[in-house]
Amino acid sequence: MAKKGSDTIIERFRSVIENPQGYAKSLHEQGKLVAGYMCTHVPEEILYAAGIVPVRILSPHVSQAMTRSYIHETYCSFSHDCAYQGLSHNYDFLDLITTSSSCIHMGEAFNVWVRFAGFAGKSYLIPYPHIIETKPAASFMKESYGEFKKFLEGFVKKPITDEEIEKAIKVYNHTRRLLKRLWELLRRENPPITGPDVATATLASQFMDKLEFNKLLEKFLKGLEAAPGKGKPGVRLMVSGGACDDIEILDLLEHLDYAVNLIFIDSCTATRYFWFEIPEGRADKLTAIAEGYISRIPCPSKDNVPGTGEKKRLRYVQQFIEEFKPEGIVFLYQRFCSPQPHDIVALRPILDKLGVPSIDLELDSTVPVTQFRTQLEAFLEILKPVVPLE
Amino acid sequence: MSEHEYASVNEKLDWKKARVIVAGVDVGAVNSKTVILVDGQPYAVSQVATRAPKESALKVMNAALANTGLTQDKIQYTVGTGCGRTQVTFAQKTISEIVCGATGAVHVWGPSVRTVLDAGGQSCRVIHCTDKGKATGFLWNDKCAAGIGRSMEAFADLIKKELTEIGDIALQSEQFPKLSDFCSVYAQSEALDLMRTKVSPEEVITGYHRAMARRISTLVSRAGMKKDFVIIGGLAKNPAIVDALENTLKVHRLAPKPEWDPQVIVAFGAALIANAFHKRQG
Amino acid sequence: MNKEKIFAGIDAGHVRTKAVLVRGKEILGYGSAATGFDAVNAAQEALTRALEAAKVSRDDVAGIVSTGIFRDVVKALPIAVQRTVPEYMADAKGALFLNKNSRTVIDIGANVHKAVHYDKDGNLLDVIQNDKCADGVGIFYTTMAKALGVSEEGLSELALASTKQLSVAIHCAASAESEAIGLLCQGEEAADVADASLRFIVERVAAMASTMPLEQEVVVAGGLAKCKALMKHLPVLLKQDVTLLNLPEYVGAIGAAISYEGEK
Repeated sequence: MAKKGSDTIIERFRSVIENPQGYAKSLHEQGKLVAGYMCTHVPEEILYAAGIVPVRILSPHVSQAMTRSYIHETYCSFSHDCAYQGLSHNYDFLDLITTSSSCIHMGEAFNVWVRFAGFAGKSYLIPYPHIIETKPAASFMKESYGEFKKFLEGFVKKPITDEEIEKAIKVYNHTRRLLKRLWELLRRENPPITGPDVATATLASQFMDKLEFNKLLEKFLKGLEAAPGKGKPGVRLMVSGGACDDIEILDLLEHLDYAVNLIFIDSCTATRYFWFEIPEGRADKLTAIAEGYISRIPCPSKDNVPGTGEKKRLRYVQQFIEEFKPEGIVFLYQRFCSPQPHDIVALRPILDKLGVPSIDLELDSTVPVTQFRTQLEAFLEILKPVVPLE
Repeated sequence: MSEHEYASVNEKLDWKKARVIVAGVDVGAVNSKTVILVDGQPYAVSQVATRAPKESALKVMNAALANTGLTQDKIQYTVGTGCGRTQVTFAQKTISEIVCGATGAVHVWGPSVRTVLDAGGQSCRVIHCTDKGKATGFLWNDKCAAGIGRSMEAFADLIKKELTEIGDIALQSEQFPKLSDFCSVYAQSEALDLMRTKVSPEEVITGYHRAMARRISTLVSRAGMKKDFVIIGGLAKNPAIVDALENTLKVHRLAPKPEWDPQVIVAFGAALIANAFHKRQG
Repeated sequence: MNKEKIFAGIDAGHVRTKAVLVRGKEILGYGSAATGFDAVNAAQEALTRALEAAKVSRDDVAGIVSTGIFRDVVKALPIAVQRTVPEYMADAKGALFLNKNSRTVIDIGANVHKAVHYDKDGNLLDVIQNDKCADGVGIFYTTMAKALGVSEEGLSELALASTKQLSVAIHCAASAESEAIGLLCQGEEAADVADASLRFIVERVAAMASTMPLEQEVVVAGGLAKCKALMKHLPVLLKQDVTLLNLPEYVGAIGAAISYEGEK
C-alpha cells in the first residue's frame, strides 16, 4: 500500500537522522570515500564528482564540557557539539573533513578536528568570500573551487572531468527540485504531510548519498502528491534561524496543548540548504557552481550588500511569509550566535509591517523542553485567543 | 514553612453563600501561589516554596483552604499556570503565565496598563497587553539572564541577611562597584571577590542590584516599553531593583497596590480566567 | 624543625573559612565558619572553634599561616597571620600530608575549582583553574539542595536514589539551574534531577582537570568531596581512580599550617 510504503520511507529518513554517524560508517564499509562537511557553503558537487560522498557533520546532542578546553564557553553550543564529534572519535573513519569559511564559531570547530582530532592530514578549508554580493566574489570563488578541485584530484589520484562535475550538478539539482516539491506541499490548506516529517526528510538529505536519497524521495513524493490531507487544522507556524537539527524540537511542536501546522523552516538544515540551483550545461563548470552558491539564500554571517547595508536574506524571508502565510514566526538560534540575532533585529520592522508576530527561542546542545513549551504555548494562546474575554 | 510562606483569608466573604468558586494555581520555579475567588472576589490567597511541583500544587491549595471549611471539591474550576502547570493535576485547564499575568495586572491596576514586567524567581518576562488584559506579545529573558530572582536569595543567605532586607540595604550606598551586567554568574563571582578590596558589603549589594537591574532593563528595552508600566513577581518587592529600573528606563511603574502581593498576581489572573471558562461552560 | 610547636592554618574561602591546628604530624583540631562578607570575623570564628576543638589556647599557637582567596584580607588584626601561601601550594602540601601517595589534588570550592599536580615533596608541577563561566559550582550545589528542599547531605542521598539519567545544560551554573527546575516542572523525579545537577558539577570539574595529566593517586579537596553521589561520578568522567581523603575541606588549611615550617 502506498501509505505503508511512505511510512517506511519516512522511518528510513528518521533512522538516518537519529544515527547519521552509523549511516556514514555504512558508506565507508561499502568501500566508498566519505567526506564530512561542516557548512552548507561547501560545493558538494565537486566532492561528488571526485567520487566522494559528502555527509554533513551536525550535533550529537550530548551534554558535555570537554570541548571547553578547546573552544571558549562563549562560542555557540553548535560549534562545541561539532567539535565534540571529532574529539570523541565518532568520525575517525572519514577520509576527509572539509568546510568553507563561514562564521568564526564553526571555524574553531573545524580547527579542533584538524589540530586535535587527528584530521591534520585529511582536511581542507575552502576559502569563501564574506560578502558574496560583490563583483569579485564569483571569480574569487571560482579560483577557490579550482584549488579545491586540484586538491581532490591529488587526494583521489585521478582527474575530475567536466562530465563528472556536470553529472554531479544534475544529481544535486534533482535533490533540490525534489525537496522543493516536498516543501511546496505545506503551502496547501490541508497538507498530506506534517512539517516535522518534511524537515526530517530534508535533514536526512544532508547526511545521505544523494542518488540513494533521490530514489527514496521520488518514490515518497509520488505517493504523497495524490494523498489526502492530514486534516489537522492548527496554527500555521514558520521557524527561522540557524542550524536546527534537533528533531526533538519539531516533535515538541506536534505535542503542545494546541495544534500547530509547521509550514516552513528557514534554516541551513532546512530550506536554505536547497532553495537554489546550479546552472546546468555551462562550459565553465566551476563558475556555474560559484554562481549557484552565490544565488543561495545567504547565511546571516555572509549576508551584506555593500554600500547599502541591506541583507539579501530578508527579501527571501518576506517572500516566504507572503507565499506560505504563517500566522506566527518562531526564531530558533544558538545562544552566543551573533549573526542570527542581528538578522532578527533587521527582520522585525518587516514582520511588523506584515503583521506577523514572533518569538525568540535560544537553542542549546539539549532542548530545554519546559522553557520552549511554555513560550510556544503562550505564543499560541496569543495567536488563537483561547481565553473567553469578558 | 519558611518565612515567605503564608495563607490569608478574606473573612468578610462567606463561601457558603457563593454561586461560583474558582481557583488559580501558579506553580513557579521558586514559589507556588494560589488565589481562590468567591463570586469573582479574592477570598483566599496562599504561597509556599516550590519543591516537587505536583506536591507543591497540592500543598499551596491546601494551605489556602486550611481553616476556611471550604474543600477542594467545591471549587468549580481551577486553572493551572507557571512553569509547573502541567503538574497541577487537579486543574481543568492550564494557561501560560503570560496570558494570566496580563489578565491579573489589568484587573489590579486598570485598563491603562500596556506593559507588564513579570520578574520572578527563575525568569523575567515582558508582556504587552490591551486595555482588556489580553496579551498581545511577550519577550522572555535570554538564558544568560536566568535566575536573577533566586540569586537574590542566594546572596541574602551569603551575607546572612533576609531577602526582604537586601533591597533596602542596596538603596543606601551612593558609591558602588560596577559588576557584570550581562551575566549573573559573573556578577555573583565578582561580588564575592570584592571582599578583597576596601568595598563594604553594603556597596557590593548595591553594585549587584544595579547590575541585575541593568540586565532586566535591556529585556524591557528590547521588548519595547508602552505606558502604563507595572511590575509583578517577587522582584517587584525589591525597592533597589525597581528604583534602578525606573531610572534606566526613564519610566515609573504604577504604584503597587497595598492589598495585592505582586507575587500572586499571575495566580489571580489564572483564577479570573477560571471564572471566564466556568461561565462559558455554564 | 620543632615537633612540639603548634601551628594554625586558615583557609579563607569565598563562602567558607576553615581553620586547623597542627602539631608535627598530628591534627589537633579544626573548625569552620561562614565567610559571609566579613573574612576577618569569619577567620576569628573558625580559629576559635578549632582552638576549642583542640583544647588549645591561642597563646600556644606558634604561628598562623593563611591561604585561600582572602588570605591577604585575614592578615589584619586580630588574626596576626605571619605568612600567606597561595592555594595551590596549600592544596598540594595539605593533600600530601593526608595521603603520602597522592600526586594530584582536585579542589572543588564554592566559587572556584582547580587541579594541582605535585611531586612527592609537594613541589608544584602544574596547576589549572576553571574558566570564569564555570564559576560557582559549589554554590550551585547549595542552591539545588535548597530548591529540592533537602540539606546538603540530603542532596547526595537523593541523587544516589536516581534511576533515570537526565541532562542539564552545561554552559554554566545559571543555565544548569534553569534546566534542572525545568525538568522538575516536567514531572521528572527529584532524585533524577538531583543526580543530573551533580553530574553537571562533575562534568565541569572533570573537563578542567583532564587537560592536565592526572598522576595517581588522585584525591579531592573541598566540602563536595564528602558528597558520595558526586564522588561516584567523578572517577567515571575522569577515567581515573580517585582516593578519598579524611577531612577534605581542610586540605588547604592543613597545607597552610604546615607551610609555616618553611619560613626562614
